[in-house]
Amino acid sequence: MSGSNVWSRSREKMRLFSELFAQCADEAAVYGKCVAATTTSKQELKKDLCAKEFQALKTCFTNAAKRRAK
Amino acid sequence: RRPRLHHVYLVVFQVGCQIADRVYDIPRTFPLALDLGGGKSHIAEHLTKDVVQRLVLTETSLQTLKVNRPSEIRTQQVLADEEFLPFQENSFDLVLSSLTLHWTNDLPGALKQIQQVLKPDGVFIGAMLGGDTLYELRCSLQLAETEREGGFSPHVSPFTSVTDLGQLLGQAGFSLLTVDIDEVKIHYPGIMEVMMDLQGMAESNCSWNRKSLLHRDTILAAAAVYKEMYGSDDGEVPASFQIFYMIGWKPHESQPKPLKRGSATVSLGDLSQIKNQDQS
Repeated sequence: MSGSNVWSRSREKMRLFSELFAQCADEAAVYGKCVAATTTSKQELKKDLCAKEFQALKTCFTNAAKRRAK
Repeated sequence: RRPRLHHVYLVVFQVGCQIADRVYDIPRTFPLALDLGGGKSHIAEHLTKDVVQRLVLTETSLQTLKVNRPSEIRTQQVLADEEFLPFQENSFDLVLSSLTLHWTNDLPGALKQIQQVLKPDGVFIGAMLGGDTLYELRCSLQLAETEREGGFSPHVSPFTSVTDLGQLLGQAGFSLLTVDIDEVKIHYPGIMEVMMDLQGMAESNCSWNRKSLLHRDTILAAAAVYKEMYGSDDGEVPASFQIFYMIGWKPHESQPKPLKRGSATVSLGDLSQIKNQDQS
């Protein structure tokens, strides 16, 4: 598609996501492990079970976005 | 203007080729064949006019139907829906369908209609996405949504299981059924690339829907879960496609049938004696 439109802008945002996500690999792994653990243990996955880990990931992600915007 | 080629097209091309192979496996020439969803099936390009003499190709979208597809086989294009086939009973020697049936709302109905439009001793060769397709994406989203939001809604279309499929084919009146399963894994950098790849194909093939209902936090969470649970050491993640290849025949008295119970003249218990007789 030629020119900038909704489609190419949202694809650009999605590409940016991957770039930012890559900078938070450690936080992502910690959150991922927290959630994944419930699939092998008796502990049921409930809302906010891994809220602390997610906040760390989100903070890292938001900071990466801020750094990129500069 | 060239469309961007999606990696999932690899699956579409491969499956089309595999269906053509199965047509060649049957030592017959088919005077008249029907390709449901033939605008995107990529089957006919592998077939010659020795195997299929005339082809009718259906599509639900006029735009897809109008695309020029050079082929040595005499082809007629018809705008039609799998659930409402505008053809007479007992008219086709062969019906083909590659990766379209999982979109139909009434699969039992569509299968029944395929059986009806086939001539006796005609054959249906089709491929559908199976229950394990995109399980990594489905599970990652489910877990992330549960942890972030307390519940989840389906974002990946439900696919048929192999046992259900066998049952559906039988109920539709097909005989001599075979269903075999193939698995393809495509590797992507991450969940976002998986979703981008599927999104562009939503209307034509795959399973991804209702992306607009996904919250940004949930996508971030799902990306982390996907990577942790399914990611490989090189950082990439797999997306699985399970394909069911099905072959079903319209009954005809020439087809082999199981013998009546009690009609056996030899017992399995005599197997060792039969072997000895051959050696003497």
